[in-house]
Amino acid sequence: MGHVLIDQEGKPVFAASTGRMEWNHTGSWRYMRPRYENKLPPCTQGCPTHEKIPQYFAQVKRGDYRGAWEIILEDNPLPGVCGRVCYHPCEDVCNRGEFDERIAINALERFVADQNLDRRYPASFRQPSNGVNIAIVGSGPAGLSAAYQLARRGTAVTIFEAAAEPGGMLRLGIPEYRLPRHILDKEIHDIQSLGVEIRTGQRLGTDITLEDLQNRFDAVILALGAYRGRAVDLPGRHLKGVRSALDFLRELNTHQPVDLPERVTVIGGGNTAIDAARSARRLGADVTILYRRSRTEMPAVREEIEAALEEGIDLKECCTPVEVLGDESVRGLRWIKTRLGEPDDSGRRRPIPIPGSEAVLETGAVLLAIGELPELESLPALGTTGSRIAVNDHYQTNLEGVYACGDVADGPVGTVVDAIATGKATALAVLHSLLDQKPAANQPPVVTYDQINLDYFRHQSRPALPHLDVRDAVQSFTEVNQTLSPDTAEQEAVRCFSCGTCIECDLCLIYCPDVAITRGSNGVPYVINYDFCKGCGVCVEECPREAMTFEEELSCTN
Amino acid sequence: MHELAPALKPYFNEETTEDILVIEGTHAASHAARLARVQAISAYPITPQTSIVELLSEMCATGDLDAQFIKVESEHSALACLVGAASAGARCFTATSSQGLLLMHEIIHWVAAARLPIVMVNVNRALAPPWSIWADQTDSLAQRDTGWIQFYGESNQEILDTILMAYRLAEQVMLPVMVNMDAFFLSHTAEPVALPKQELVDRFLPPYQPEFRLDVNHPRAFGGLAKPDVYMEFRYHMQQAMEEALQLWPVIAEEYKYHLGRWHGTAIESYRCEDAETILVTAGTITGTTRLVVDQYRENGVPLGLVKIRMFRPFPVEALRQALAQAQRVGVIDRNLSFGQGGIFYSELKSALYNGDHRPLLNGYVAGLGGRDVTPDVLAEIVEHLIHSETGQDLVWIGVKA
Amino acid sequence: MSQIPVSVPAQEIMGSGHVACPGCGAAMAMRNALKVLGPKTVVVIPACCWSVIDGPTPHSVVGVPVIHTAFETAAITATGVRAGLRARGEEDVNVMAWAGDGGTFDIGFQSLSGAAERNEDIIYVCYDNEAYMNTGIQRSSATPWGAWTTTTPVNNPKSRPKKNIVDALAAHHIPYIATASVAYPEDLVKKFERAKSIRGMRFIHILSPCPPGWKSVPEQSIRISRLAVKSRVFPLFEVLDGWKYRLTQDPEPVPVNEYLRLQGRFRHLTPEAIDQIQQDVDSRWNQLQQRIASSF
Repeated sequence: MGHVLIDQEGKPVFAASTGRMEWNHTGSWRYMRPRYENKLPPCTQGCPTHEKIPQYFAQVKRGDYRGAWEIILEDNPLPGVCGRVCYHPCEDVCNRGEFDERIAINALERFVADQNLDRRYPASFRQPSNGVNIAIVGSGPAGLSAAYQLARRGTAVTIFEAAAEPGGMLRLGIPEYRLPRHILDKEIHDIQSLGVEIRTGQRLGTDITLEDLQNRFDAVILALGAYRGRAVDLPGRHLKGVRSALDFLRELNTHQPVDLPERVTVIGGGNTAIDAARSARRLGADVTILYRRSRTEMPAVREEIEAALEEGIDLKECCTPVEVLGDESVRGLRWIKTRLGEPDDSGRRRPIPIPGSEAVLETGAVLLAIGELPELESLPALGTTGSRIAVNDHYQTNLEGVYACGDVADGPVGTVVDAIATGKATALAVLHSLLDQKPAANQPPVVTYDQINLDYFRHQSRPALPHLDVRDAVQSFTEVNQTLSPDTAEQEAVRCFSCGTCIECDLCLIYCPDVAITRGSNGVPYVINYDFCKGCGVCVEECPREAMTFEEELSCTN
Repeated sequence: MHELAPALKPYFNEETTEDILVIEGTHAASHAARLARVQAISAYPITPQTSIVELLSEMCATGDLDAQFIKVESEHSALACLVGAASAGARCFTATSSQGLLLMHEIIHWVAAARLPIVMVNVNRALAPPWSIWADQTDSLAQRDTGWIQFYGESNQEILDTILMAYRLAEQVMLPVMVNMDAFFLSHTAEPVALPKQELVDRFLPPYQPEFRLDVNHPRAFGGLAKPDVYMEFRYHMQQAMEEALQLWPVIAEEYKYHLGRWHGTAIESYRCEDAETILVTAGTITGTTRLVVDQYRENGVPLGLVKIRMFRPFPVEALRQALAQAQRVGVIDRNLSFGQGGIFYSELKSALYNGDHRPLLNGYVAGLGGRDVTPDVLAEIVEHLIHSETGQDLVWIGVKA
Repeated sequence: MSQIPVSVPAQEIMGSGHVACPGCGAAMAMRNALKVLGPKTVVVIPACCWSVIDGPTPHSVVGVPVIHTAFETAAITATGVRAGLRARGEEDVNVMAWAGDGGTFDIGFQSLSGAAERNEDIIYVCYDNEAYMNTGIQRSSATPWGAWTTTTPVNNPKSRPKKNIVDALAAHHIPYIATASVAYPEDLVKKFERAKSIRGMRFIHILSPCPPGWKSVPEQSIRISRLAVKSRVFPLFEVLDGWKYRLTQDPEPVPVNEYLRLQGRFRHLTPEAIDQIQQDVDSRWNQLQQRIASSF
């Protein structure tokens, strides 16, 4: 039997299909166009160094800890340090906080760093020389950060450090129970591996001069930090036993013999105050902290304050010292209660002493932790804003080719991450100036909480961070906080909304009624086939994290 | 097999016959479906079709027939079910009657246009209201324009043989076939019926091998939306298939005779038409009675003949023109009626002759509606009226009471 | 996990280029159903939107064999396909009837009931967009109380509740019934997987958003479908053997107005009418809870 239902041209003679519908380019129906566009997560914006947090979380989720580390290293060479000591402003703005609890970003950063303690930078970090030769004064977080960003771009960097060992305040100010020195050493060593030369024992004004550096280098970055305790007008301040908290910490951290009485009083509410108090506690002292505002106004990291209280340190809120008592040595401290008035210039409420509320505290030492200022005597030619070096938006001082960053310069001061951020920005500004290397383009808009599609999330609490039992902790300078387990780290990375950052959750792919979305390759998660996309917008609407954009089809394409 | 009376031997060919049963027309149809090795049956009961499906149910239950029998909830579903089964590549059978056939109407069209070679037996029964279960062909003739090939049978044996041949034709031209038998006159009248040997049937009717089917290895969509640019061609090809069926049918009849030893004519059968001046045209069981009347008139020297129309669609225009080429008077007896026009076979025949060379006097007789007996006397009345007619008359009512 | 993970089989059976309206739920539903059922599937499509969506002859987007059939015959044609495949010895093929609400609740109900009573070995899917959408939004017995359609204008909206098709099917004691939503693709996929693993009559009722018919914006098709579930207008559950009820999703409930207010077809409703709908939804939810409680 021949063909009955096929004609001479081979076509069926009844309604039978011979092909599919791909000839029908339904993309011509579209008047709105979806596209993939990552937005700025609030954590990244909130982080002074703009660490790409959802991006490295994605690596943590897949167990690629090296990958995660390398993403952090784009912006910050000191994740082991920051993962321990950062005040993590990223967490304060975390969108997840409005849903249940903010993500433990700081703990995850530490986790990533700790997973990479045995790893070194990838070979790609060493770039051919760009011909630029930079001097940096100071090897604290700002100097190290600037050196790192410069060296990664092929710049020859020499750091001049006054102390015997590099690290600046990281080494001299921060106690070992918060930052074990092998972590710091490792990360400094990594930076040195890029060819950064660190010359220690080189004090500006004594061993080297700015003029000399200006002559020998294409540019000089001043990152000296701030070490001098702020002067205080307190009767009895010259008695033996009254000293700067930072000096106390520096002695302790350089392993000099430290002599402490039984009772110690720390004055101040910042991290230095807490560090000094907890260190004194470890040396066996009974410690009291006096702070003139209430606990909520204390600039120290919240968790540090809580740890101090747990360790049995007495915090006297809304108390201000009136006079140090004693003959030669300190015997006690008279203080007065305060109430909080209207906000002052810093935006915090001004403490006002309450008449008649004075009392006396017995103490053998008074450690002053009321802020530090840079020492600028060796740099008379530099313009200042009172106590710090004046810089413009490009971190340039009034001297040609001289830049300044970190606590020595005007700007955000007093925290490690701000120092790292300004170090990075200064490095980029230097290169921009010398090589015309343009900084990154404009940032996309920040993702707000109401842009998160909450239907795709379940409530889940933030993990408790592991730490030493307080009874053990106060016995030594062993690190108190411990690293997360890989399971907990993964769970926490998964808990992240990943605001504005595609995590390849596949919802766009699954919902597309037109089968117009396919998986991409070479790091591109998805590809939209505009031949078929009708522009219904379901993918954009359903994206849980605002990683897609829907915009008007302005012109006929293809 | 029993020893046959000599007179029966030519009809009940011993070599091709497995057995001879005295059975009703309905059971003849059931046996035909069994012999055709149908694979899917779907049906809904309606008098007088029921015995067809009852016996098929038995056959499926005992294993005499290896077929899926889906006992559905309506005639509409009965045929729609077979749309699915036939599209999947199965040889299919169903049977119905009257109201059931009308309920199927939508799907009757569907089957033909989907080019599915389903064979359906319709027991011609009058339509309601009022309720009537007796013979009348208006039900199937109302399906005239659906794209189905239609046959009308005179005897139970012819029904059996026609069904077997119908499968051959259907599967060769990919159109469905309706085989019609008059209610009770055939459906419930027992006659001796030769059941052909299965192996001979198999030789005549090989397994169904569709060119297109719902095949997961070669996915296609059937029956999708057709725009005006393609629809008309599909209809053109259906007409082509109908015309091919007309050419094929005599060939298949010859083959059937060759394999199974029986002959019922082609699209039509002429009986004693040689030198006949007057010819009666019939379809269905009236034919048998008319043979008797023709014989009687012939004995009296009147040159009367008979043309039996077996195949109504495609309408055998050329065969009829030839068969009636010598006739002076032709009378068509219709057990059916198209209201506002007349007998349907009459109307079709008149239309067939119009463009022919010879236009005899042509009368249309409507008789036997709703199962009223068309006796030899009634037929004699028709013959007398026809012989004495001087002009053709489109509609002559026979036996209507005053 | 915090983000509710959604995964569906990777295989893509249905293609691109179909002519469904933007944001069409019926297209999403077909795509995901076929991902589960796979290439060894025959689809039976009666008159419905999908008669058009599939594409004009000689083209078809579905990717597996399709038979287009008369409006009222989805279940019975599928029955026949099963019989025909069986006759050919092809036992491992899924036969899926794919009908709209008109073809299921109304004109096709007789043949659906017949197939269910006989426990035919087919998967019957009703993609329910709650009106005759292909003919231009006329009311069906699946149209909810109070809804606008072109035959139930706003000054005389539908005055009878939606037919409870699941109850009607449950009364046939078929092995598997499920409701499903395009907004819960993983739940939908699981139900098709379960249906695939069971022999006999399986009925899956999918609420299928229709932007033109519901007077909603295409990008909200999934959002609206999800709200249908969250508001308990369309709970997601299974019925085994006609009496064992099991809830498969139980999200935090929201008021019905959250669902209604995104759709123009409900825009004319007064606060009293919305209260009435809320009461109806609550009482049907309670009834469902009772059935679940007495199921196991």
